[in-house]
Amino acid sequence: MYGLMSGKEFFVSRYRKLGWQFREVEPRQAIRINQNNAKGKNLPERLRSLGVELEKVPFLDSGYWVGKTRVSVGATAEYLLGLYSIQETAAQIPATLFAPLKGKTVLDACAAPGGKTNQLADLMNNSGAIVALDVNKDRLAALANHVERCHVRCCIVYGLDARRASGLNLKFDRILLDVPCSGNYAADPQWLSRRTLDDIERNAKVQREILAEAVKCLSPNGEIVYSTCSLEPEEDELNIEWAVKNLGLQIQPADCYGEDGLTEVFGRKLDASIARCKRIWPDETQGFFACKLKKKAEPK
Amino acid sequence: MKALTAFGSRFGGKIALNPEFVLDRAQRYYLLNPALQKVTRGDFYYAGLYLGKVKNGIFFPSFNFLNILAPIAVNKVILDRKAAWLFICGRDIFRKGIVRLMGSQQRGDYTLVMNEFGECLGFGVVTGNLEEDGKVAIRNVLDVGDFLRREF
Repeated sequence: MYGLMSGKEFFVSRYRKLGWQFREVEPRQAIRINQNNAKGKNLPERLRSLGVELEKVPFLDSGYWVGKTRVSVGATAEYLLGLYSIQETAAQIPATLFAPLKGKTVLDACAAPGGKTNQLADLMNNSGAIVALDVNKDRLAALANHVERCHVRCCIVYGLDARRASGLNLKFDRILLDVPCSGNYAADPQWLSRRTLDDIERNAKVQREILAEAVKCLSPNGEIVYSTCSLEPEEDELNIEWAVKNLGLQIQPADCYGEDGLTEVFGRKLDASIARCKRIWPDETQGFFACKLKKKAEPK
Repeated sequence: MKALTAFGSRFGGKIALNPEFVLDRAQRYYLLNPALQKVTRGDFYYAGLYLGKVKNGIFFPSFNFLNILAPIAVNKVILDRKAAWLFICGRDIFRKGIVRLMGSQQRGDYTLVMNEFGECLGFGVVTGNLEEDGKVAIRNVLDVGDFLRREF
């Protein structure tokens, strides 16, 4: 049934229509230093002494690419002590898009396995409060382990669907929506043969529901950062255009690595403000999309 | 709370936690800052700084709790790099891997286990063989390698 709506040729052709030439890529492994835990410890030097080659990621404050290594970076004492986390390069971007986070009340609506939750806590200097949700009960243990390993003190974890977040009766200054998505071929070798347009449309619908729920929980001057690791415009630019038109949101400039969001998708012109989103085609990183949103100002 | 202070005293330290910030939920203990207390609802999975749990009358500390204890505990050993690695792999400690011993080291005492950088790797029980090479000096009770082992 999906013969024409799936498979490598189908997706390669879609990407070409979006202006990008498909190529096989191998994203580099990356770590993120937990600055609060690693303060004064000269962590890069410690890791180099263990035989781990590191290269600073030029567009991230705390990110390093891992080169040749004599040890598994997921099994060093430094990792177990929470001095750093293994976190894909592009995935380190969304949490950095928020205005200052210290002391804020933050919702991480789709939090497991917790990489971005830990990053938020680090950026918050372990002050304020993070409410971390995940609907998948099996992934909550991984989230809690991650938070415990990194000595996070300001986080509470609930097994809750992001589409039910307003049931907590809380208002948030910052909301991270790293929504469940279709992923991309750079992170999953089977992706091109497994995914269909139907999957993408189903995920896009869930993402819109999560966006709508998040707006209900957002403080008047609050910020939402929306991100996916999908390359499909239905989950990215088209969803954000929908949010701008239907949820009273406006897109804020995002000062980070990546290309401008697409303002024309399969022949359809989108609102010019969509260019403020950031799209990352796979290369040294996996594919990614991120944007920052605020409520439109009420007319006086 | 008693379980926490009693456990701390086994390392020769006197721990002082403000009970206002300690949440006891079914004998699992969490330290919550005031901002977190405001967003705490009944059925959470994890909250604040997890301190440990009591099961069958025995207190099982978290690594966070050991880190709180570290500056005030008297009983500590510092390991060389190789012994530290073996310890986090779940192994016991032999005399030759110990760089420094602090506090009471009588058989049955609890002692924190630190690496050369002063970071807490876990804790163990003194076996009484601290002067004899070739015998286990400190039996491993809990080490940070647990974070990897519990994933499987």
